[in-house]
Amino acid sequence: MTPAIDISALTKRYGRTTALHGVDLAIEPGRVFGVIGPNGAGKTTTMRILLDIIRPTSGTVRVLGEDPREAGPALRRRIGYLPGELAMDTRVSGRALLTHYAQLNGARDRARISALAERLGLDLGRPVRSLSKGNKQKVGLVQAFAHSPDLLVLDEPTSGLDPLVQQEFLAMVREARDAGQTVFLSSHVISEIEQVADEVAVLRDGRIVDVSTVERLRAAALRDVRVTVPAAAGDAFAAELRRLDSAHDVAVAASAEHDIVSARLRDGIPAFLAVLARSTVHDLVVQEPDLERAVLQFYGGDASDASASQAEEVSS
Amino acid sequence: MSALPLFRRALADSWRGLVGWMLGLAAVVGMYLPLYPSIGGNPEFIAIIESLPPELVTALSYDQITTGSGYTLGTVHGLIGFVLVTIAAVGWGASAIAGDEERGTLELTLAHGVSRHQLVLERLAAIVVKLVALTAWVTLLVAVLNGPSELDISTEGILAGGVALLGTGLVTATIGLLAGALTGRRMIAIGAGAGIAVLGYALNALGNQNADLEWLHAISPYHWAYGTNPLESGFDASVGLLYAVAIIASAVAVLAFRRRDVGV
Repeated sequence: MTPAIDISALTKRYGRTTALHGVDLAIEPGRVFGVIGPNGAGKTTTMRILLDIIRPTSGTVRVLGEDPREAGPALRRRIGYLPGELAMDTRVSGRALLTHYAQLNGARDRARISALAERLGLDLGRPVRSLSKGNKQKVGLVQAFAHSPDLLVLDEPTSGLDPLVQQEFLAMVREARDAGQTVFLSSHVISEIEQVADEVAVLRDGRIVDVSTVERLRAAALRDVRVTVPAAAGDAFAAELRRLDSAHDVAVAASAEHDIVSARLRDGIPAFLAVLARSTVHDLVVQEPDLERAVLQFYGGDASDASASQAEEVSS
Repeated sequence: MSALPLFRRALADSWRGLVGWMLGLAAVVGMYLPLYPSIGGNPEFIAIIESLPPELVTALSYDQITTGSGYTLGTVHGLIGFVLVTIAAVGWGASAIAGDEERGTLELTLAHGVSRHQLVLERLAAIVVKLVALTAWVTLLVAVLNGPSELDISTEGILAGGVALLGTGLVTATIGLLAGALTGRRMIAIGAGAGIAVLGYALNALGNQNADLEWLHAISPYHWAYGTNPLESGFDASVGLLYAVAIIASAVAVLAFRRRDVGV
């Protein structure tokens, strides 16, 4: 079967800065494919090349079997795109703007715009520029999904959405996959990638570091935990945590009322719970693992290393 | 009902601005032209003109101000009307690509089923329609005031004046569009559009000063339009240069915009 996206040796240079160093990627049709990596890793650049908004320096790109550079508008009608930095400042209503995009795509199904808007809780009657960031993002999602494209390219699709709408979006992605559409999305949120992505590519400094499954990534993920214990009990609690293999970066912040112990955990949750059970705990926060940071640690260096080497690259 | 979506969107987004410009032009044309009977034939006013430095008088084209056509050129087509049409044309030309790109909204439009050249051409068409509306409006106002204000301009002169004014607007707008298509920077597009208008005006004024500088007229779009007063002597072939430049600038804008990365 022809891959929905087939990229090989893709390089993109801006002047002396290289955004992509020979990226290879193949995505089978009907899959949900996530891409993660720090800002500047090349996620957005890759997506914009798929849409022919920017042009590759070298390498080959095939989208739905065609070269975006040559295929023109007909190919883009088969793609739904949500930009990472969604800018919308028109005074026309959401309905008028979405109808305009539908016309550009030659789509006739206006009912689908209303259905999608209702599903996401978007008021189509209001001027787009008066909408909140989250509601503008919904307009962006509706225009990407409205023409039922064969391929969805979504750059940070849930940014600005509240959790309920995020769930609705994830349901839309699953339905798209079930309908045979291919979804290529970038995200920072592990739960999101975990819930929908079949495969994940890790992009760093313009290179694909690995293509993996979510399970493998999650195993490597660190969770930030914060435990509030009675005043003066912090040091003893921290000492117990340090005995766990899974706990890293244990620190204590003392105050008059209570102590706050923070740490980062990799797996080892049962042992952590056992420590909690033996102690007096006022409050407990366990954060969602940060997929991006986890992955970067897993594949050598942490996020700060990554941004440092990136800065080096730009300045060199 | 889905033909030319970008053209229709561009007009729908900017008709308010167009109405504003038409009101502004109506105000200045309606203010200046009715003053002609009390100025053009007024010996005191002519004495004032004669007392001014001749360089200033020629720079402002006031040397013909004692005729209705000269007065209309010196106040409307060559001065206030020219300035307003130029400002409108600069704004439209610069926002068509560069402004949209800087706001970040062009990326999403291009991600849909449109080609680059379609985008440039449809937006150019919207600019042309708006400039035609503006200059037709000025032409209509002049025609209406021609009798009451005793301007005594021929019908051909009125039409030729409108065609020349439209030509200056098209050159300004398409140069701005071209600069935006090449660079994607709104300030560069504004600078290019406004620059060509100001430069054309300055070259014409300098060329008027003495015979040694007259060659500057040959490269002044303003002079192509008004070197021979179209309101007085009707259509002149040099106005065609304005349209030729506008067409070439548009063609280059299409080609340039097809090639480059957007929004980087």
